[in-house]
Amino acid sequence: MPSEDTLPADSAAAPAAAGAAMHRPPAIAIGWTLLTIALTAFLLLPVLWLAAMAFKPDDVMFARPTQWTFLPTLDHFDYVISSGFLGHLFTSVVLGLVSTILVVLIGTPAAYAFARFELRGREDLFLFILGTRMAPPICLVIPLYLIFIRIDLLDTFLGLTLAYMTFNLSFYIWVLRSFCRDLPVQLEEAAMVEGWSRFQVFVRVVLPLLRPGIVSTATLCFIFSWNEFLFAFMLGGQAVKTLPVAIPLLITAQGVRWGEMAVVGMVALLPVLLAVFFLQKHIVRGLTMGAVKG
Amino acid sequence: MTGAAVRAGQPTGGGADRLAIVPAGLPSGRRWSDSAFYPYALVLPALVVLVLVSLVPFCYAVWLSVHSVEFGQVGDFNGWDNFAKVLANDRFWNSLRVAAIFMLIAVPLEFVLGLAGALVLNQRVWGRSLWLPLLFIPSMMAPIVVGLLWKIMLAGSWGLLSVNVIERFGWLDGTSVFASSDHALIALALVDVWQWTPFMMLAFFAGRQALPESPYRAAAVDGANGFQTFFHLTLPLMTPLLVVIGMLRFIDAFKIFDSIFILTAGGPGVSTESPSVLAYKMTFEQWRIGESAALAVMVWVAFFVLCSVFYHLARKRLNAF
Repeated sequence: MPSEDTLPADSAAAPAAAGAAMHRPPAIAIGWTLLTIALTAFLLLPVLWLAAMAFKPDDVMFARPTQWTFLPTLDHFDYVISSGFLGHLFTSVVLGLVSTILVVLIGTPAAYAFARFELRGREDLFLFILGTRMAPPICLVIPLYLIFIRIDLLDTFLGLTLAYMTFNLSFYIWVLRSFCRDLPVQLEEAAMVEGWSRFQVFVRVVLPLLRPGIVSTATLCFIFSWNEFLFAFMLGGQAVKTLPVAIPLLITAQGVRWGEMAVVGMVALLPVLLAVFFLQKHIVRGLTMGAVKG
Repeated sequence: MTGAAVRAGQPTGGGADRLAIVPAGLPSGRRWSDSAFYPYALVLPALVVLVLVSLVPFCYAVWLSVHSVEFGQVGDFNGWDNFAKVLANDRFWNSLRVAAIFMLIAVPLEFVLGLAGALVLNQRVWGRSLWLPLLFIPSMMAPIVVGLLWKIMLAGSWGLLSVNVIERFGWLDGTSVFASSDHALIALALVDVWQWTPFMMLAFFAGRQALPESPYRAAAVDGANGFQTFFHLTLPLMTPLLVVIGMLRFIDAFKIFDSIFILTAGGPGVSTESPSVLAYKMTFEQWRIGESAALAVMVWVAFFVLCSVFYHLARKRLNAF
């Protein structure tokens, strides 16, 4: 969303730039397009290989030289399902949804307040929130593990949900704040002149305008909890196992179950594939903590 | 000129975009949301949660770090003992060296390749909206799946890359790169490069697209060539963005845990033992709680200093947030 100081320049430049590009011979465009396709394909080759692994019979998997064609098998899926995988999937989905919904409920008003009001100690609070987001997970896991033992939160759903707040709530507040600042304050002022209270303005004016920002930031939060490993591994224990935790468990004493790991890996990848097409440039904004508007 | 142009899209943090605490002169009545406490009420739940899950654990870690802890029982206050033990531990210094090598290989490579890739994307490419989302996949994947991916690609004796590239050129024979103490760390850094270069491409591309077009037209009129335009226009205009993204990547790379955990678990020996992996082993394998708390506190404080430098640089000097 461009602001006042770029809008005139960009909108004036856009047709001119498009016009300039038109004059270039199409051969150059074809060249750059092919280069982009080649680059993308090269970068994603390992992902495709992982997908193939999920359907590959064991003897083909370990063949030397590499065997490129094979008869797909569902053996790995059978093993994965019989080893309680659906339970892990369910845990991952529920944990992701519950923690994301909590983050949205708690974080949205906070992000709005940070964007719009002169709070005392605002800068220090920002730094605290950013610091919480950036802190290495291991630094949090060690004390949280010991605290959770004391208060019986270890290996519980509630404990893990709380732990996920460290990175997700701080992330959500920080990024949604930048979406709030994109909204023109005049709308809210106009509504207040009409006699609406500030709370009514927040609920009836701000929230509807903020919906795209809320949805995309919340989706990123879901992906972060979906992907999270260390917290789930240490604080979830035997009771609450998510998909990422299920992957190293397939490195067993009897050997590594590669095909099964590939199956779990691909399932863990599915929501990410949906999210990249759905979110697109919001990902840049999210992962740069709002520094790039995209 | 530089700063002003790239600030693009951020209203400067001034009074203009803020609502008054109490809307003076508006028909206010006696509603609760008109009180001066309203903004604080909005942030309160979030702050309570963040204090509980972040500040309390930090204070607990500080408390543990100055006590002797035996078999999970917190013993006597012992001052700086735990810190002294960590600082005297070779593995601590080794872990810092591992982190430094990892960051110095991975981040500059991601930077240069990302910038080059962004310039490719910025050309006339057809169907961009089709390719761009695909490039997000590596950075959005679970790090543990990224680790799994490369465990498979580089598995000794049958991994796709091991067999067809590494063995063919005779770099290593029959073993995985991750089993070689000379190469494991470099391989881990390259895995990170694979994961984050596409994202850097997209971030730099988004930044490049946000630049105003007029200086480029002026440069074209003045007859500047591609190199001149890049070094005298694109690079200076994008500096704030490059600094912010670079620092975020450095911070992230220092924290690396998941992919090391699944690929090498810190080995062979201690050749890939990053500070996070060391702290993990100290705590959950050796149960030296006091020392690992001291280590965690040191890393935490270092991070906080780094973060506040980053915050002041990004927010105050470059106006990025």
